[in-house]
Amino acid sequence: METIKAFMSMVKDSLGYITHGSRTYHIWMIFLTVIMLIGMYCYSIQLDEGLSVTGMTDRVSWGLYISNFTFLVGVAAAAVMLVMPTYVLHDIDFKQAVLIGEGLAVAALIMCLAFVVADMGGPSVLWHMIPGIGVFNFPNSMLAWDVIVLNGYLFINISIPLYILFRHYQGKEAKASVYIPGSILSVLWAVGIHLVTAFLYEGLQARPFWNNALLGPRFLASAFAAGPALIILVLAAIRKFSEFRIEDKTIKKIAMIVTVAAQINLIMLISELFKEFYAPTHHSESAYYLFFGLEGKTALLPWIWTAIPLNILATVLLTFHKLRNNLNVLYFCCFILFVAIWIEKGFGLIVPGFIPGPYGKIAEYTPTWIEIWVTLGIWALGAFIFTMLAKTSIGIELGKLRYRKKEVLDSESV
Amino acid sequence: MKIKPKLFILVIICLLSSCKHKESGYHNLKEKIEEESKHYQDPGISSEVYIGDIETIEITEGEHTFLIPERKSQLKSYACTECHSKPLSELQQARDQQQAHWEIKIKHANSQTMNCATCHNPGDMNHLNSLAGIEIDFNQSYRLCAQCHSSQFEDWKGGAHGKNIGGWANPRAAMSCVNCHNPHEPQIASKWPVRFNTQKEMERK
Amino acid sequence: MAEKKKWFQLDLGLSKAQGSGSCGCGKDSGDCGSHSDHPDKEYRLTAEEFDAAVEKELMGETAVSQTQKDGFQQVFDVKMDRRTAFRKLTASLLVGAGAVHTSCSLTAGNETKEKAQIDWEEQFKGNYKLMTKEEKQATVDRLVRSYQLRKKKNIKMSSADASKDVLFGYAFNISKCQGYMNCVSACVEENNQDRNSQMQYIRIHEMKDGEGFKFNEADDNYYHEVPAEGHFYMGTQCFHCDNPPCVNVCPVEATWREEDGLVVIDYDWCIGCRYCMAACPYDGRRFNWSKPEVPEDEVNKNQHYLGNRMRKKGVMEKCTFCVQRSRAGKDPACVEACPTGARIFGNLLDPDSTIRWVLENKQVFRLKEDLGTEPKFWYFMD
Repeated sequence: METIKAFMSMVKDSLGYITHGSRTYHIWMIFLTVIMLIGMYCYSIQLDEGLSVTGMTDRVSWGLYISNFTFLVGVAAAAVMLVMPTYVLHDIDFKQAVLIGEGLAVAALIMCLAFVVADMGGPSVLWHMIPGIGVFNFPNSMLAWDVIVLNGYLFINISIPLYILFRHYQGKEAKASVYIPGSILSVLWAVGIHLVTAFLYEGLQARPFWNNALLGPRFLASAFAAGPALIILVLAAIRKFSEFRIEDKTIKKIAMIVTVAAQINLIMLISELFKEFYAPTHHSESAYYLFFGLEGKTALLPWIWTAIPLNILATVLLTFHKLRNNLNVLYFCCFILFVAIWIEKGFGLIVPGFIPGPYGKIAEYTPTWIEIWVTLGIWALGAFIFTMLAKTSIGIELGKLRYRKKEVLDSESV
Repeated sequence: MKIKPKLFILVIICLLSSCKHKESGYHNLKEKIEEESKHYQDPGISSEVYIGDIETIEITEGEHTFLIPERKSQLKSYACTECHSKPLSELQQARDQQQAHWEIKIKHANSQTMNCATCHNPGDMNHLNSLAGIEIDFNQSYRLCAQCHSSQFEDWKGGAHGKNIGGWANPRAAMSCVNCHNPHEPQIASKWPVRFNTQKEMERK
Repeated sequence: MAEKKKWFQLDLGLSKAQGSGSCGCGKDSGDCGSHSDHPDKEYRLTAEEFDAAVEKELMGETAVSQTQKDGFQQVFDVKMDRRTAFRKLTASLLVGAGAVHTSCSLTAGNETKEKAQIDWEEQFKGNYKLMTKEEKQATVDRLVRSYQLRKKKNIKMSSADASKDVLFGYAFNISKCQGYMNCVSACVEENNQDRNSQMQYIRIHEMKDGEGFKFNEADDNYYHEVPAEGHFYMGTQCFHCDNPPCVNVCPVEATWREEDGLVVIDYDWCIGCRYCMAACPYDGRRFNWSKPEVPEDEVNKNQHYLGNRMRKKGVMEKCTFCVQRSRAGKDPACVEACPTGARIFGNLLDPDSTIRWVLENKQVFRLKEDLGTEPKFWYFMD
């Protein structure tokens, strides 16, 4: 009873807390809301007209939505890179960062699910996927696996921080025996979500560009580079805009993770490029299209030739300790690395998989404004959710939000 | 750390149970077809109604028995002897009579190989005749074609050449040679495609 | 097209074309009066009128128009506009309530009630693959009845199951095909494919003699006199693989292989994720990117639940070897339409069938055999 009361009070307090804030905070939230509303309006048009309002065709049947989905699964998985050292290896450094990381994972997962729903031809019959009510093609379909792991990961990532925050809200220490098993599970699970997402593509014999054993490991490497890079940027922003203290040591440690992952990612990229271009087969057509264009069709060239230099530049800069330890350089590197991997893992992975088509036909893909706005809307949704989560958890961690038993009792008696 | 082995086992079980289930034990499709057709029983589906108004006759050639369209009733002025009562030379001489068959141009092999008499019997216009001079009924004109086009004939009997009529089920009915090829000009003329997909053209731009 | 205009106008700040010269009716040419019956006229309603309309819809007809969204768009043919699109976002929750309300209401007409009832049952029916014979018949009856209610026309819809001892197979004679595309045309008409997007199940590839199968250099959308000198023609469509990758990947089992080897789709169960499309190595699947439309007088009314019945937007479809014909013993439309006899269809299990003769006596091959998909579609030459 007491627990429920405390929980209700936490919900109430945090609702109050997230609706109040500085002017910058309000402007930021209004800005996000406006983007979300535009996105919703665009989505309503898409619902009305069908997916023909997007740039997708029978030739390129997955586009911006699925690209972003794939990338964000990686971001979500990367939260684990903070969880593992903190809870499992008892490296105290990360403790402040880990709540932020898990908040980011939750936001990224919600965005993932939103992107999947946006991509569906019939969102109203999505209940067909719910096991029990619908028919779930498990274990044959990798998409079924993906639904399970994504939702499971979402559940884990909501419950662990919720438990910790709730304990802290009540002024108690979180019990290690409760959250450590959960953390270990989430570590395994994070690898799982990304591998399963990679298998989604890897298992298609029809698409040689994806049907490639390196795809899974490369997904992991790029995720563990892009995700923590985003976390560094977010931590930097939190340091600037709130009183939450994050030590340089923490950021530098995360930077180390980013660096190693980016290096591994680069090695795998080289290995992939070598295979595609040293002994090109018919199956290398997609890679040719991506990097050099085919038959005069060159829509992806500007993207990939932005991504590759940015990727290399960031990795090289990060490799030097001196440069990496300079926070401004680090933020810059994280930003360009994030952008580079977003392009590479999104557009650069999904679209060329479809080009050329099964019979060598080339039809290019350009997203329409509807698609772009829906995408922006979903990103705004993610930012919105993250801001709320981060604000609440910072509030609790800083002790601004605390359960006051007496007051509640008083107010009830009145 | 104790939980890890358990989780590991769980993952293994998941992976094992997720192996693709194959309902049949056949190695490939060909084996499967051969195996399953050993106990083949006619499914009781008939295509007879789809032959429609086409009047057919049953023929048996080698081990194949099937229906082909009846031909003679489709010929405009059969029987030929209604006009061809006199020898050809006399008919050609008679200037007062209407001209017939003037539109027929033979574009079949070359003039060294083929002329009218290669197939038609000037002595008996109601029948065709083989190279060896044996009488062939108009309903069985395919036999005439088969003299030279032996490989096409084999394919036709088996079903690899020529168009099926009606449906895939029994009874089998197929077009005969002359239903598609004009015997005097057997080459099928070129034409324009029935459709052009403008939408596809736009997508490929 | 006014419809196309809709989403380009959305650029809002990005394009200044909007609202400058065109009238408020959503068309940029002609005058507003010329299409007064256009649904866009609702744009000009005042706020009160709009609210009243919404109120009315929610009380009465919404149940119909809303469930239609999810039901079979094609059959119900509802006119939609931007307002309804907006309303849909909020009102979709009221679908169920609306349907119940309508079906219980004393004032609503019997037909309206029946429509709502049908929509409700169709929305929440199960997967066709798992239905019993009675359930299959029930859903077919509902679809026939709803077409009758909406279009005042009768259709015939079959739910015939696969027969025992039948396995359909197809052979294609490359030396015979002349590229006339009669098959493509017949297929579109037989299977009620969307005319707007010019969906076609069959593609005919025009290839150069002496270069082998270079699909990437082949032209599958030629328009000149055929057969062209020095070219040969090859048709592709769904190959009804015996080990179909598309079936494996579907997360909801909306597509499956039937006992007679046909790979079919339950259009009402498909969620439109297009994973099967990515998994198909043969470009055999098509997606309804927008609401498919067929002029009423061109609708083929002889239908099968798994075959050529009307589709809705946002679902997959594909060649079914004309299940509505083949299960009744008839040749698929493409086989019937082909003037050259290049297409051969039959029962692979019947040792005396023509398809078996072709497989046993001709040099046959299949496309991308190395993928292990076991297509039941063979090519051969004379």
